[in-house]
Amino acid sequence: MLLASAGGGVLYVKKLQGDLDTAKGNIIKLEDGINEQKAVIAQQEADFEAITSIRNDLEDTNRMLETANRNLNEKFNKLNASGERRDIGALSTSRPLSIQRILNKDEVNERRCFEIIQGAELTEEELNATKKSKINTVCPELANPNYIPY
Amino acid sequence: MWKEKVMEVLEGHFGTKKEITETSHFLDDLDGDEIDIVDVTVQICEKLDISIPEEETFDIGTVQELLDVVEKNVV
Repeated sequence: MLLASAGGGVLYVKKLQGDLDTAKGNIIKLEDGINEQKAVIAQQEADFEAITSIRNDLEDTNRMLETANRNLNEKFNKLNASGERRDIGALSTSRPLSIQRILNKDEVNERRCFEIIQGAELTEEELNATKKSKINTVCPELANPNYIPY
Repeated sequence: MWKEKVMEVLEGHFGTKKEITETSHFLDDLDGDEIDIVDVTVQICEKLDISIPEEETFDIGTVQELLDVVEKNVV
């Protein structure tokens, strides 16, 4: 009777140890799962930051393009003091080299605007520009922070 | 005489709110742009019936510089 009880106790303890080993294995699996989930969350956070950064860059680019578009629109449709609208087509025909030269300069300015949006540092000349003749006319608000329009 | 005509063109183009003098800068003082300089040059050529080579106008910044170029081409 005593032997049977002792044998039963041993079996019970062995079963408990088995259960404990199984539980330990399950805990390890759960911890692995948690670590995987943490890695996924960290990756999602990094992706979100990257998306936010790209969105901000796109918004900057969009703002710059809107300004450039507004400036170009004014350039092509400006009214003079007599109320006459500028005829860029006629000017391009009568003074093609002059207009081409101006448009080339605008193209260079536009490229510089994109460089600034992408993080290029402003030069001393850009920082010190306070006169209209010295500014980047495509994106003065980006390239020439010390320029105050008339 | 030609100089008065040039000033008439400039006043018609930029107005009389801002004083236009020989030292006036087209961009910095008259709030113009580079196309304004091309535009007034064309108007001056028509008014004075002269021809000004484009290359001579590339570096014009002030009214005096415009007057110098016009003077050179007035017959």
